[in-house]
Amino acid sequence: MSVHEQFADDLSLYALGALQGEERSAVERHLEECPDCRHELARLQGSLALLAFSVTGSKPPARSRERLITAIAKEPRRAHLIRPPRRAWWTVVEWVAAVAFVAVISLLLTQNSNMRRRVAEFQSNSMKQQQELLQAKQLIESLTAPDAVHFTLVAGKVPPQPQGKAIYVRKNGTLVFLASNMPVLPAEKIYELWLIPTSGAPIPAGLFRPDAHGTAAVVKPAIPTGVEAKTFAITVEPSSGSSAPTTTPIMVGVGE
Amino acid sequence: MVRAVSKANWSDAELLWAIRSGDEPAMEHLYDRHSSIVYSVALRVLGDTGSAEDIVQEVFMQLWRNPKVFDATRGSLPGWLAVITRNRAIDSLRKRRPETDISSVIVSVEPDLSGAEWGHAVEKIRGALGSMPPQQRSALEMSFFQGLTHNEIAQKTGEPLGTIKTRIRAGLMALRKVFGQ
Repeated sequence: MSVHEQFADDLSLYALGALQGEERSAVERHLEECPDCRHELARLQGSLALLAFSVTGSKPPARSRERLITAIAKEPRRAHLIRPPRRAWWTVVEWVAAVAFVAVISLLLTQNSNMRRRVAEFQSNSMKQQQELLQAKQLIESLTAPDAVHFTLVAGKVPPQPQGKAIYVRKNGTLVFLASNMPVLPAEKIYELWLIPTSGAPIPAGLFRPDAHGTAAVVKPAIPTGVEAKTFAITVEPSSGSSAPTTTPIMVGVGE
Repeated sequence: MVRAVSKANWSDAELLWAIRSGDEPAMEHLYDRHSSIVYSVALRVLGDTGSAEDIVQEVFMQLWRNPKVFDATRGSLPGWLAVITRNRAIDSLRKRRPETDISSVIVSVEPDLSGAEWGHAVEKIRGALGSMPPQQRSALEMSFFQGLTHNEIAQKTGEPLGTIKTRIRAGLMALRKVFGQ
C-alpha cells in the first residue's frame, strides 16, 4: 500500500480531529478518491484505539448500569421499529428444491458409479445423465444466484435470527448447507462450516461469506465419505480458512 | 437445524443484531463486555467520574437507539467505542457540539483483542508507551487525551510545528508495531 507522503502527517492529525478549515477539507477531498489513504486512516484510528486501551482498568459504578437499563426501559418499544424483513429467505419451495437437489446428487453419484462399469453397453444412458447433470447444475445456479429473491417466513413479529440448515448424506459425503441472516464479517474473516464427527476432530466442510442480505450456501464441499456426523458447527476464521477451528463456534447444530 | 448458542458467547456483531430488534439482555451483555473501556477513556479525558458516567450513558444509548451506527465490517467494536468515546469526551471537554459523524469512523485493530489476551495486550501497549521518547509520548497524549491541536502543542512546548506533527505520527506508528502491523 502506498500512502501519499504529502498527506502522511495530516492523516494522523485528521484522525485526531486536530485539522480545521482548508487543511481538513483538503484531506477529506483526498480521502474521497484514495482508497489507500482511507485504509491508512483506519489503521491510524486503530493506533488511537490502542492508545485508548492503555488507560483501561476502571469500571463504571453499578449505578451506571442501572441508569442505562432504566433509560432503555423508558425508550419506545423497539417492536414498532421492526420492519418485516426487506429481503427474505428460503421459501418452503426452495427447501424442497434443496432436498430434491441432494436426492438428485445422491442418485447421480450412484448412477455414475454404475455407469462407469457399463458405459460401453449403455451408451445411450449418458444422454439422460447429461440432462440430469444439467438440471442439477441449473438448480445449483438458481440456489446460489446473486439475483435470486429469498423470503423469510417468521411467526408474528419475531425478527429473523441467524440460522443455518445442513442437509447431509453420509454414505456419499454429500452436504448442502444454507444460511440466512448471518452477520456480515470484516474482509479478513470468513465463516467456516465444520462437520463434527461422532469421534475424532472436526472436519472442514467449506468456507462461506454471506451476501449483503446475510444469505449464503455451501454446496457439496470436499469432505470424506462415510463419516457419521454428530453435528455441524460454524466458526469465524481468517479469510483463508483453517484446518482446525481457532475460535469458539458461534453456531452449532441441534438434532431435528 | 443449526441455531445460535448461548448469548454470553455471542459475538459483538450478533449482539448488535439482536439489539436491532430491541433485545434488552443483549444490550446488557454488550455493556458488561465493553463499559470498562468506554468509562476508562472518558474518565482519562474528563478527569471526573460524574462526567465520565454521562459519556458512558450517551455512548451506549446511541448504540441502543441506532445499533446500525457501527458497521461490523468496518472494524472492531471495542476499538470503535474507544475512539468515538474519546472524540465525544473531547467535544464535551471543549464544550462543543459533536464534530464527527460516528458512523463514518472506521477503526482497524489487529489482532482482535478479547478475553484472556486482553490483559497481556494492554501491558504490551503500556510497555510501548513507556519506551517512547518522553517528548513523543507527551505530544501523543496531549493530542489524544487533552484534545490539543498540533498548533496548541507547539505553542505550549515552544517547539516547531513540523516537529510536533512528526512526533505524533511517529508515536502512532510505534504503537502499530506493538502487534507487528
